Amino acid sequence: MVLLEARNLTKRFEGVTALRDVRFKLEQGEIHALCGENGAGKSTLIKLISGICPYGSYEGELRVNEVKVEFKSVKDAEAAGIAVITQELALIDELSIAENIFLGRLPKIGIRVDWAKLYEDAVILLDTFGLSLKPETLVSELGVGQKQLIEIIRAIDKRTAILVLDEPTAALANLEIEILLNHLRRLKKGGTSCIYISHKLDEVFNIADRITIMRDGESLETLETPKTTVTDVIRAMVGRQISDLYPKRVSKCLGKVLIKSDKLCAAEAKGEELILKNISFEVKAGEVLGIGGLMGAGRTSLLMHLFGAWGIRCSGELYLQSKQVDAASKPNDLIKRGLVLVSEDRRKYGLVIDQAIGFNLSLSSLSYFVTLGAIDLIKEYEVNQNILNSLHIKAVDLTNQVRELSGGNQQKVVIGKALMTEPHVILFDEPTRGIDVRAKLEVYELINRLTDQGKAVIIVSSELPELMGISDRIMMMHAGTLNGEYLRGDFCQEKLLAAAIGQA
Amino acid sequence: MPLALFAICIFFTLKEPSFIGPRNLTQLIVEFSITGTLALGMFLVLLTGQIDLSVGSGLGLIGGVAAVLIFHYNIPAYLALTIGLILAITVWTLMGLLIVKQKIPSFIITLGGLLIFKGFFWLIIQNSTIPVSRGDVENIYSKLTTYYLPHELGIILACLISALLAYLMHHSRVTRREHHLAIAGGLKSFSLWLSITLGLVGLTLIFNHFRGVPLTLLVLVCTASSVYFLTQHTVFGRSIYAIGGNTEAAVLSGINVTLITTLTYTLMGAAVALTGFMTTAYSGASTTTVGELMELDAIAACVIGGTALRGGRGTVAGVICGALVMATLLNGMTLIAVAPEVKFIARGTVLALAVWIDVRLSKK
Repeated sequence: MVLLEARNLTKRFEGVTALRDVRFKLEQGEIHALCGENGAGKSTLIKLISGICPYGSYEGELRVNEVKVEFKSVKDAEAAGIAVITQELALIDELSIAENIFLGRLPKIGIRVDWAKLYEDAVILLDTFGLSLKPETLVSELGVGQKQLIEIIRAIDKRTAILVLDEPTAALANLEIEILLNHLRRLKKGGTSCIYISHKLDEVFNIADRITIMRDGESLETLETPKTTVTDVIRAMVGRQISDLYPKRVSKCLGKVLIKSDKLCAAEAKGEELILKNISFEVKAGEVLGIGGLMGAGRTSLLMHLFGAWGIRCSGELYLQSKQVDAASKPNDLIKRGLVLVSEDRRKYGLVIDQAIGFNLSLSSLSYFVTLGAIDLIKEYEVNQNILNSLHIKAVDLTNQVRELSGGNQQKVVIGKALMTEPHVILFDEPTRGIDVRAKLEVYELINRLTDQGKAVIIVSSELPELMGISDRIMMMHAGTLNGEYLRGDFCQEKLLAAAIGQA
Repeated sequence: MPLALFAICIFFTLKEPSFIGPRNLTQLIVEFSITGTLALGMFLVLLTGQIDLSVGSGLGLIGGVAAVLIFHYNIPAYLALTIGLILAITVWTLMGLLIVKQKIPSFIITLGGLLIFKGFFWLIIQNSTIPVSRGDVENIYSKLTTYYLPHELGIILACLISALLAYLMHHSRVTRREHHLAIAGGLKSFSLWLSITLGLVGLTLIFNHFRGVPLTLLVLVCTASSVYFLTQHTVFGRSIYAIGGNTEAAVLSGINVTLITTLTYTLMGAAVALTGFMTTAYSGASTTTVGELMELDAIAACVIGGTALRGGRGTVAGVICGALVMATLLNGMTLIAVAPEVKFIARGTVLALAVWIDVRLSKK
């Protein structure tokens, strides 16, 4: 039986067609994956299904149980049994796990909250998910992965018929992913249908019954998972064969040392325990240093600290082009010294989301354009336009709001902003998180171009294959220390993992 | 919003035809210049996502300090005004530093400032009335709101501004065309320029029917042009929009948030001094009620004009329109002799309405 059907959906945003004649069918009790590059229209489709884009703002029709529906808001969609879990977390940090799960429908005696029943119910739910957490724990004490699971528990408990998961595992560790997938299988047996969006194709093949592929706002085809392969799906998503996911790195002579850290120790604030311990490394011109490690090992803190945006230096020295860097340097000082950071969370740390692309691109380089105290808008426009073209940012023009761009294009804006400062050393923190295959490849190629120009690159990534594909040298981080150093040709996933868990 | 302004004007004119007479219009423009200058200072602070509640009692204090220096200590007016200006800039810079460096919410610091400044204000004028000049001798302080440009000069200035505008509009069209950017239709631009020019000349002629173009309007025009230049054409301006839009991203983009935010308070101080002098001069003397509740008029003007309270959004033109709405309302209500009680209620309603509209806009 067809539970949900999309018939010829077309949706336009200010002249850009995000969806064109999309057709999609979700059967009762199936897990149906949506695959496609960023900007292919997956998220827009979800917005229509979940009522975020109300009826009337699009063409075509949505049918639930073979009846046409007109969702005016998220509430309407929820009433029809559709629950959406997005990448962004919507938990209240200052409330307990149990309160968050039952928010809006706390069990009551009269007007008083029935705490005993609340905790009892929460424990049952947590147990079925294999989580040994106390229900009275504050959500703020949980890790990102655990928060994601709580979010899922909350949504699932609303007795939903259709569960939509948008990149639910982006922040989860392998064990947590396995728990989540097992639960989806259990829900499926109970008759719940799932729309599953993920860039991780191994997950998709592990769990989905069928896969619908989207490209450039169109639904291309729906495949039965057992009858297809990862290569076929990628080819359909990209529209061409990706023979090599990582561009070739040609080893050549390296230049002089551009950045050097000598026994660096740092803490979050004065008098607190050290988060970074005895960090020593150097990176030469033309070299890519990869830094790996498990979540919480201190990788992001390290990059942010190097860039003067996190923590207090307790001891050790940092050198840029052999010149010592003052421990109190702030990002604005370091950008002048030729260091720049492309941060992990582009919405939080990278972009002024309501401003235009041009505003964001030139934000770090404004002083280059100043003549007689005023910004030379023409000169700025030309440089911005160059970056827009050379990074292939897909937009109508520079005045487009960054908010309207897809994740991959937003990331390119952040990278463009960093490159415009003409840095010598570039720190990349998870530069390919949440962006599609094609954009990933473009980022890798860009990193190669940068090192060809004699720049030094440090890249942090959670994905070992990515690190191994693009680095000349990898160091692994464990509990705040840099634990081992491996040269290209000597890369081996087992060794790297062992170093990550501190057993090198 | 121009529609709302138009409706307000029609309403008051019907109630009291002298509303659009040269005398009242001149008065209205003086009041508008005062509100507008303060609102432009507030605009910079709001853009960074901060707020300043202390400006009303602050401007009373600064105007009072200058008046006391002249009246009690016989200091030349220009020196007294300079001292007032320096004092305001210093105090507001310190307040800015306190907010940014110590990370204390600006709402609280400036609320404290409101009370502290009011206390000092009443202390230095000893709850009395201090004239802005000794005897009947006029000085630049008293002339601030009573000086009018000679009629010919007014016309010449209006023409000059119109010519400058024509040049700037033309220049921008040429450079935009050179770079293949979209340009507005020629007729549309021309009619915009023509209506502005007609408005300028017409207004000048009306002023000339009374005494001429008031000096305060010139102060406002200079302030507005400076703030426009600052926000649209300088690194400082870009930085405050970025700080209001996303502070963390601004820090990581290499913007010195501490310095820039403090500087907005420094400029707020300068605006407070200017407004303080004009308000005190307008009422002829420093008394305890000078500047009362003006912080709310300034905030309302900004918000009516589309400035976001959470920062990052707003334009100078919007703020000027907002200030015109506030000034027109207050002036009209005074003219048709609305009871003070009702005036408070009307002011409050407008403020609440403006914030409601801001919330609606921000959601979009």
